[in-house]
Amino acid sequence: MSLNRLITVSHLTKDYRTSRRREGVRGGLIDLLRPQRRVVRAVEDVSFTIDEGEMVGYIGANGAGKSTTIKMLTGILTPTAGEVRVGGLVPYEERQRYTRHIGVVFGQRTQLWWDLAVVESLRLLKKIYEVDDALYEAQLALFDDLLQIRELLHQPVRKLSLGQRMRCDLAAALLHRPRILFLDEPTIGLDVVAKQSVRNFLKETRDRLGTTVILTTHDLGDIQELCRRIMIIDHGRLLFDGTIDELRGRVGDRVRVRVELWDPAPASALAECTTGLPVKWEEHDGQEHAVEFSRRDVRAAEVIRHVVNARRVHDISIQEPTIEEVVRQIYRTGVVAGTARSSEASPHD
Amino acid sequence: MTDAVALRPWRRTPSATLGLYLHFMRFSFLEYLAFRLRYYTGVVSYTIFVAGNYYLYGALYASRPAQPDEPITLGGLTLAEMVTYVGLSWIGRSFYFNNVDRELSGQIREGHIAMLLLKPVHAQTMYACRAFGEAAFRLLMFTLPIVLVVGPLFGLLAPPHPSLYGWTLLSFLLALLVNTQINFLVGCLAFYLKNILGVIRAKMVLMEFLTGVLVPFTFFPDWVQRAVGWLPFQAISYIPVMTYLGRRSGDDLARGLLIQAAWAVGLLAAGRWLWNRSVRHVTLQGG
Repeated sequence: MSLNRLITVSHLTKDYRTSRRREGVRGGLIDLLRPQRRVVRAVEDVSFTIDEGEMVGYIGANGAGKSTTIKMLTGILTPTAGEVRVGGLVPYEERQRYTRHIGVVFGQRTQLWWDLAVVESLRLLKKIYEVDDALYEAQLALFDDLLQIRELLHQPVRKLSLGQRMRCDLAAALLHRPRILFLDEPTIGLDVVAKQSVRNFLKETRDRLGTTVILTTHDLGDIQELCRRIMIIDHGRLLFDGTIDELRGRVGDRVRVRVELWDPAPASALAECTTGLPVKWEEHDGQEHAVEFSRRDVRAAEVIRHVVNARRVHDISIQEPTIEEVVRQIYRTGVVAGTARSSEASPHD
Repeated sequence: MTDAVALRPWRRTPSATLGLYLHFMRFSFLEYLAFRLRYYTGVVSYTIFVAGNYYLYGALYASRPAQPDEPITLGGLTLAEMVTYVGLSWIGRSFYFNNVDRELSGQIREGHIAMLLLKPVHAQTMYACRAFGEAAFRLLMFTLPIVLVVGPLFGLLAPPHPSLYGWTLLSFLLALLVNTQINFLVGCLAFYLKNILGVIRAKMVLMEFLTGVLVPFTFFPDWVQRAVGWLPFQAISYIPVMTYLGRRSGDDLARGLLIQAAWAVGLLAAGRWLWNRSVRHVTLQGG
């Protein structure tokens, strides 16, 4: 077991009860008397551990169960089954005493007081968390250094742009120097510049303060830049937990080589020069061709050598699949072999 | 299997907790101060309410056949007492009225309550403190101007004994506590109801009737009087105003204050229960 393990999640499951509406007036009347209840399983048998100081990206499509997991980790949602332990505390059982150690940013929601100047909210948070003057000043100096918030402090929150508000929200979430920071879609709706400033800030926070960060996002750019480790959830199940390189490896380490020839030739001509290699050329005619293969089967250099020896080549480029493509493939194929930690069938399925 | 990193269960020091809740009070005082202009027009509308009642009761009393040697009374009050009753009821209302129900239900409806649950703050105490901050603002910027306008304009009576000023003040403070807790309870209903604004509006109308602001209870038949005696609403206006008029003296005065205090404590407990229940409900259901 890891020496600095902070979070242990075991067999976490969450069901929601929703009522399904019948159609039409008649259906509406029946609903009044006998509502149709339905149980929706938002998170199913999810287990993982996180060490102190890790920065973990938690990704999944809308409704995949990301936010539900985060809510259980922050203590505002009680699981149906399974358990969360953070540094020996159970968040949803000791919420008030646990909240001192966490900071939370929900991208869609602000924790600042809408009508008041930002600095008033920060002063209130200082009192809520009993932050002493020295730390308060130090934190403000740090936030100003990284987020340039000083000029925003005296403006009411409702007058801030989304990007400015997010910078202030990050400052508010970290003012009491929490051990863990939860971010739910921190870059949603931000422009490129604002996104970059949030990402840089998170990197600095991790490096300077050693804060453990767990972030959910749609934006794989966030993950690629910030997180060594990612977890992918879909339909409530954890599909993958590992590093980005591992993820690439697990989906087969696909690579694509584009070749531009001097003289036009059919795809069959290129297939001829790579006979014996486990590759398949895409059906193009003319000067431009492309081939895709797995690095595990053959090295790119090998393929290129064969082509260059047989043909006059104008240009060659190697493309690695983007993280988006890798993730899309995981969604398509479901559980990735060898990585699924929750593959037992559930009676509720 | 051990977690090497342990988080210390954390508690604020008592003095810091006191400081925090005083800060909440200051905070809401300042928020309302920003909207003080809105309350200047309120002074006018409250004066008009009282004026309407003043002329109404004037006509009502004038239509009664006059008895020799005896002043005309309705529901046991002379015209001057009746005008004082109405004037003081509205003066009191300008003080104890607050927006805790609207604020809390708005936070719940828009889902901001999650942000509150994520902070080490006791919601019921926080909202009570916000109400006290609002009351302090109202006392200074709303109630005081109304007293200065309505008092001389309609010739409100002084209480029969100067000590009653103090008792009335205490009684209105208890009224504030009772009203705040009722509002907190109503606000919590937003966890369960979709159309909470309708409930709040209905509550406002019902309260004007049941607190005795609209008509003194002495006008009602016996059984209605007995029924409202079992409700908390009389503690908000009827008891303090009757205290001022000297209609409660000796044991009766003490009993009135005790009834108010008992309701304050009872409703605090009820608010605590409903809040905890509602939080358990949202943390299980996801709101």
